[in-house]
Amino acid sequence: MSAFRFSTTTIDVASLRDALADPAAGGYAAFEGWVRNHNDGQAVTRLEYEAFEALAAKEGERIVDEARRRFSVLSAACVHRVGRLEIGELAVWVGVSAHHRDEAFAACRYIIDEAKHRLPIWKKEHYVSGDSGWVNCERCAEHEPSPQPSPAGGRGSGASPQPSPAGGRGSEALPPLPSGERAGVRGVSPDYSRQIILDGIGPAGQAKLRASRVLVVGAGGLGAPVLSYLAGAGVGTIGIVDGDVLDASNLHRQPLYALADVGKPKAELAAARLHGLNPEINVRAYTQRLDADNASTLLSDYDLAIDCSDNFATKFLLNDACVLAGKAAIFASVYQYEGQLQVYRPDNDSACLRCLWPEATRDGIVANCAEAGVLGPVPGVLGSLQAIEALKLLLDLPGQLAGELLILDLTTYETRRIRAPRAEPCTRGACARITALKGPEDSIDGLEVSFASLDRARRAGYEIVDIREHREVAVEPMTGVPYTHIPMGSLLADPHALDPEHRYLLVCARGARSLAAALELRHQGVPRVYSLRGGIAGI
Amino acid sequence: MAASTRTIRVQYYALLREQAGRNEERLVTSAATPAELYAELSRRYPFSLAREQLKVAVNAEFADWSVALNDNDSIVFIPPVAGG
Repeated sequence: MSAFRFSTTTIDVASLRDALADPAAGGYAAFEGWVRNHNDGQAVTRLEYEAFEALAAKEGERIVDEARRRFSVLSAACVHRVGRLEIGELAVWVGVSAHHRDEAFAACRYIIDEAKHRLPIWKKEHYVSGDSGWVNCERCAEHEPSPQPSPAGGRGSGASPQPSPAGGRGSEALPPLPSGERAGVRGVSPDYSRQIILDGIGPAGQAKLRASRVLVVGAGGLGAPVLSYLAGAGVGTIGIVDGDVLDASNLHRQPLYALADVGKPKAELAAARLHGLNPEINVRAYTQRLDADNASTLLSDYDLAIDCSDNFATKFLLNDACVLAGKAAIFASVYQYEGQLQVYRPDNDSACLRCLWPEATRDGIVANCAEAGVLGPVPGVLGSLQAIEALKLLLDLPGQLAGELLILDLTTYETRRIRAPRAEPCTRGACARITALKGPEDSIDGLEVSFASLDRARRAGYEIVDIREHREVAVEPMTGVPYTHIPMGSLLADPHALDPEHRYLLVCARGARSLAAALELRHQGVPRVYSLRGGIAGI
Repeated sequence: MAASTRTIRVQYYALLREQAGRNEERLVTSAATPAELYAELSRRYPFSLAREQLKVAVNAEFADWSVALNDNDSIVFIPPVAGG
């Protein structure tokens, strides 16, 4: 029997309860939702439930499955009535059996809360007055938390990702609304009418968005528009992964935030902002970096991932996790005045990042926003394109970017679409280049060394190589110590210029490029090459 | 024009645009492959990326570095970018 199902007839609790029996179970917890005779001050005589069943049943299965895994319970099930119900009838039943009562209660609570919130179910209330009105189901949720900013819990620690409650999503704390309206703020509800009237969307499309779950990795310049547009569109569940705190230098390209928020965790800030934008949706904040240990677990609760990160390590990790899990991903990256956009889908022949770049690019090889600079609206444009592709994908609209890399230069408005089919080593659903999730492939242990001065490094037996570009050297030449100047590109193109018997210390402005270059040279077989930690700025 | 040379349109993006100091150019070259063309351009411009770190597209298709270049081909050298 499915763990979640709809029923048009009376729910038989006894047989459902028996089906959960397990010799290993130390307890059983159940929740019953009943039809009550009043709502928002109006007397109700009976009601009708209507569900978007195809989607709701799948989503219901997911909820029960999530609860099982999250709380390690033995068995769980949920049945929801549809059709006409009288006062006092059982409308929804949740049952959980577990080793201990704590897990049973927690899983039961999780299932009913998520079901109330995520399932596209509506109820039509019939009032004593003879009127009736359709009510979105979450409005009748009984025990949901009231909206409040979430604490910055669980940051940067813990193996299993736990979302912080991103502002409640209940409506109990809000004043009563006129019948037939949905939950909102001061009587104002999210209104999707401007998109619902579009061809290809309609109420069914809106219900699809409502049932969609999207994980956004990175709440920065790309993430700001992605998160805003997806929340505004009514995407039902949005996860936000970001381990950083807000920096004042973020604000020129991240209009989601305020100066007063500097120093606070961005995932939390973004979640609170999205909750304000759309209290109907479920927003989860993960105040940690995506890593090889948490990527698969995080992804398991979502259907689509959007890469809004600012480093190669995260992009490739997310790529690999999506390919392994068979989930779609939308990637974007920006550089100064331009950007790239790529969509990976497991169900067509589009390239993933590794089809284009089999060896994950190392951070440090190419500058990021902090090093190279970026014009604020550039990630805004690319992030908006990601939001468009996400909505096209979720709504199955035509014109999706597939099997192509889009390159957009915002100085000239030159657009290139370069065909990027799946690479040879990939067959459907399996990439020979990706077998398991890995952290950064190279250990940098021992590769970085610290010196108070370059003279000391000389005396310790290192030959010093300045790998900065010509223009950097012209502005700030090194003095007082013998050294060789070989720009990074030339050095990597011809590693045999270095004598394998000698010991080299690579130096750049801040130590990022020299570390990347040292890693690369080690890969190319130069054994005794090191990077000056902190670069010239650090001595 | 000698038989062994061809006219090629080259476009630069990101770091390469910065280092070449231009968005694009049309040039006459004796380079027979994208690899030779990149080597030629690397002597002219201070490119910091090795060829292995780039992708090349010929006429809007990702291509192998050793394909033969033809007259009027349009070449794009694409560096990876990570900003967000």
